[in-house]
Amino acid sequence: MMRKTWCFAAALAATTALVAPLTSAARADDSFYAEAGKPYAGTTIRVLDEITPLQETLSKIVPDFEKETGIKVEWELLNHFEVINKGQADMLSGRGHYDAIMLHGAQLGPMLSAGVIMPLDKFVADSKLSDPGMNVADFIATPYKTTAFFEGKQYGFINWNYNHVYWAREDLLSNPEEMAAFKAKYGYDLGPAKTIEQMRDIAEFFTRKKGEKLAGKPLESDFYGIVLEGIKGGSTFSNLWVNFIENYGGDLLDDKGMPNFDTPQVVAALKMWRELWTFAPPGIAEYSLVDVPTVMGNGIAAQSLAWSDFVLGIDKPGVSPYAGKFIYGPIPAKAGNEAHRHADAEPSVTVINAASEHPEATFLFLEWLASKKQQDKLIEMGEGGVPIRESSWALPAIKDSDNPTLFAAMKSSLDVAKARPKMEKYPEIIDAMSGIAQEVGLGQMTPEQGAKEGQAILVKLCGGKSCTLPE
Amino acid sequence: MSATTEAAPAHVSTPQGLRERVWYPYILIAPSMIMLVVVSLVPFIYAIYLSFHQAKFGRVRDFIWFDNYATLLSDERFWNSIGVAATFVFIAVPIEFMLGLIGALVLNQNVRGRSVLVPLLFMPTMMAPIVVGLLWKIMLAGSWGFFSYNVLERFNILTDTSVFASPDLALYALIFVDIWQWTPFMMLAFFAGLQALPLGPYRAAAVDGANPVQIFFHITLPMMTPLLAVIGLLRFIDAFKVFDTIYILTNGGPGTSTETPSILANKMTFEFWNIGEASALAVLVWIAFFAFCTIFYQVAKKRLNAF
Amino acid sequence: MAEAVNRPEGSRGLFWTTIVIVYAAIMLFPIFWMATMMVKPNDAMFARPTQWLFVPTLDHFTYVFEQGFHWSLLTSFVLCTVSTALVVVIGTPAAYAFARFEMKAKDDLFLFILGSRMAPPVCLVIPFYLIYAKVGLLDTFLGLTLAYMTFNLSFYVWVLRSFCRDLPVELEEAAALEGWSKVQIFRRVVFPLLRNGIVATSVLCFIFAWNEFLFAFMLGGDNVHTLPVSIPKLITSQGVRWGEMAVVGMTALVPVLIVVFILQRHIVRGLTLGAVKG
Repeated sequence: MMRKTWCFAAALAATTALVAPLTSAARADDSFYAEAGKPYAGTTIRVLDEITPLQETLSKIVPDFEKETGIKVEWELLNHFEVINKGQADMLSGRGHYDAIMLHGAQLGPMLSAGVIMPLDKFVADSKLSDPGMNVADFIATPYKTTAFFEGKQYGFINWNYNHVYWAREDLLSNPEEMAAFKAKYGYDLGPAKTIEQMRDIAEFFTRKKGEKLAGKPLESDFYGIVLEGIKGGSTFSNLWVNFIENYGGDLLDDKGMPNFDTPQVVAALKMWRELWTFAPPGIAEYSLVDVPTVMGNGIAAQSLAWSDFVLGIDKPGVSPYAGKFIYGPIPAKAGNEAHRHADAEPSVTVINAASEHPEATFLFLEWLASKKQQDKLIEMGEGGVPIRESSWALPAIKDSDNPTLFAAMKSSLDVAKARPKMEKYPEIIDAMSGIAQEVGLGQMTPEQGAKEGQAILVKLCGGKSCTLPE
Repeated sequence: MSATTEAAPAHVSTPQGLRERVWYPYILIAPSMIMLVVVSLVPFIYAIYLSFHQAKFGRVRDFIWFDNYATLLSDERFWNSIGVAATFVFIAVPIEFMLGLIGALVLNQNVRGRSVLVPLLFMPTMMAPIVVGLLWKIMLAGSWGFFSYNVLERFNILTDTSVFASPDLALYALIFVDIWQWTPFMMLAFFAGLQALPLGPYRAAAVDGANPVQIFFHITLPMMTPLLAVIGLLRFIDAFKVFDTIYILTNGGPGTSTETPSILANKMTFEFWNIGEASALAVLVWIAFFAFCTIFYQVAKKRLNAF
Repeated sequence: MAEAVNRPEGSRGLFWTTIVIVYAAIMLFPIFWMATMMVKPNDAMFARPTQWLFVPTLDHFTYVFEQGFHWSLLTSFVLCTVSTALVVVIGTPAAYAFARFEMKAKDDLFLFILGSRMAPPVCLVIPFYLIYAKVGLLDTFLGLTLAYMTFNLSFYVWVLRSFCRDLPVELEEAAALEGWSKVQIFRRVVFPLLRNGIVATSVLCFIFAWNEFLFAFMLGGDNVHTLPVSIPKLITSQGVRWGEMAVVGMTALVPVLIVVFILQRHIVRGLTLGAVKG
């Protein structure tokens, strides 16, 4: 909700009315924050976060913090690109309007190299500020450790564990007629894809023209075996990179951060990528995070790899006519390489702006957000969500969810999720490489050319040196 | 309002009695000039300053002379973006211009219900460009767009691609969107111009028995030239800077086939945070435009008496 | 125009009217389609086959107003009115001067004005941001009003100048001979004659300001939050809230539509006035 100077009183009244019923009971276990917040009562901190239903739910909890500590929080939510633009402009210019800013994993490299994130270590070491009940061991380990720390310093807790899952149409995969036909053609049972090869077969099998039959009914329009994000930018390349190339045993960089894109594994992954595009809707090269959920929600495609938090918005009655007909699974692995599976994820943190004038109060807020109690509340109120704590998996909202396969898939992804490598030139690299992903996908460039050209771009952008920040 | 001049006004006609006061016009333009120096020149000079520095991440570091310019001028992506914008502008603006002029002439006939029709026709220009982008996404998005589904797919047009996903078509689709959005702007501006023309010359022409074509080329067009030139030039500049619709619809893709200088500058600024290079791009685009506009202005002034 | 005055209304008028209506119907169809999305339930939004009939819902309106959209509407309205008024006040004398008087380096000054519109705004927004951050103009009405001058003042002066040129100079001369002061001449003679041009041009400026996104987003904030800035918030990582987007997009049209509708008799001077003049 926005605050206008001329309606300040009205907004205040409304906020108070909204907050009152939620915050009537401050219980004993809140005593740490109540005590720790005392020196900072009356301070106002400004926090910038990304708008998704997860944060919209969280915004209903934030007033509790104000009640407990007396620290006022101006909680601003903007869309994905705006958070990046405005948040970075604020940090990089040293303006310090926002005390805390949500950073996607990919932004960490550039922001760390610009030196505009405040390390948390001195606050963590301060017994007055450090919540003894934090229990960091409960954080889902790999995303937390790879995201929040750099060069031995801590820059945040974990806030948002965005991750990819496999998303398919259950009603089609379990249709007896289709199952029989699939078995006859491919020699194994139809079901949610476990491997990339199965995903390919399913994509091929379900790609049909208007007039052909799907699950016994003639199609009124073309139907596609798979839909993926394919726009220039967005998460097109990270999908290709982690869900395909890494599962094939390849990678963007080697262990030392040197470009390592021109390898047989990368070529093989690019071949699969190209093939899958032929089973995707014709508009795939313009599909962004806007289109993929729309296409799945409208029943135009059989399967997808998509951000699991998308699903929370689409797979509900009244939003999509196919709600309840979806099934989810772990990201399919490369057949034969299941032991080293990978799933695309972008663990993200809210960091303290180096120019912040209220770092202590902000630190308390970040701790409070990540604390078990608030996380539990967030997941219960949102009737699910994307957990950052292991203990959250056991909460009724997740354990007894109407959508159990989604949370099982999410857990499986988060088990192997890791942060993006911290590269100063991350945005340039992604921009150039997603161009390659498009050209290979559209068949304008062979997989071999794609691997060569990608390697050349990486070498050029990183100046022949390591692409990652020196640890 | 009985006094109307028969001939098109001469280049400058200072009213008698105000001529001797040489300082008067400077007072009239002073507020605008001061305003533009403050809000336009100061940021621009700052941009020039940044363009000579290594200003990665908005942190101004070393003075590096023309390095940003050299990088930019040797970057094929920069030249590609200029080419894309040139194609965009040289197709879109003439079409908008012609359609706008024809539309204005049609509206100027005895069209009934103009008070309702004019605001309605003008709606595409009134919409926020960002909404226009989303609107055409709704219409033309591959597979799920209204038009893609109900027309293209039904009649098996473009079965293996979609308009915005095709490297060959995307730019022309964006040009189409621009024409849709801005033709009403041209139409309304020209229509207002037609309505403001003095009637005297037309009465004289009617007496002489001139036909409509003669009237158009000998009376309407010459008298409209100043407005046509100004509106055409402004639209030309704006079309070159087009941003919101492309950003929403293709973000420069597929590949770099729709990457205009504004889209490239947006990436340099908000993705790569290479403020120095983005500022150099601004300066180069500005210089090119200034040269173009100066030439256009001088030619239009001398040949067409347009300014 | 002569034709319009001389020919009696009749079948020709009807012919052109029909042409215009058909053209408008085709061109405006996408907007009509978006308008229906305002009340369309989510599951019918892009249903295949296309659903022409549906049970309307007000959910999208509810969400948008819960998000404080009406405050953005008010902010936009105040901001655009003030900045357009400022453009008219300082731009009109300049346009008049450029049309009427000889000045030293006049062409250069005139091109300098246009120069402010030439650089891509996306390149200038960071210099603006850095300067505004230093002088404390971020997220203020004044800051945005000033920023809007960069594109609107030049537009206004350039377009209005061509209207000024068409004014008959004799009236001003007559007034000068009668001993009227310069201010009187400007206010009582030039300004009324220019009214149509001023209205037409300032409506266009208002629309440019109304729809401006980049400056409003980067230089604005919680205090100054305009309509276009509230649209990207509807593009979430869980898909676009299409219905809400349609509500914002279409409601944003209404005030401009009303402004154009009310003021169009100035824009479209109309036959009556033309007849009197003839």
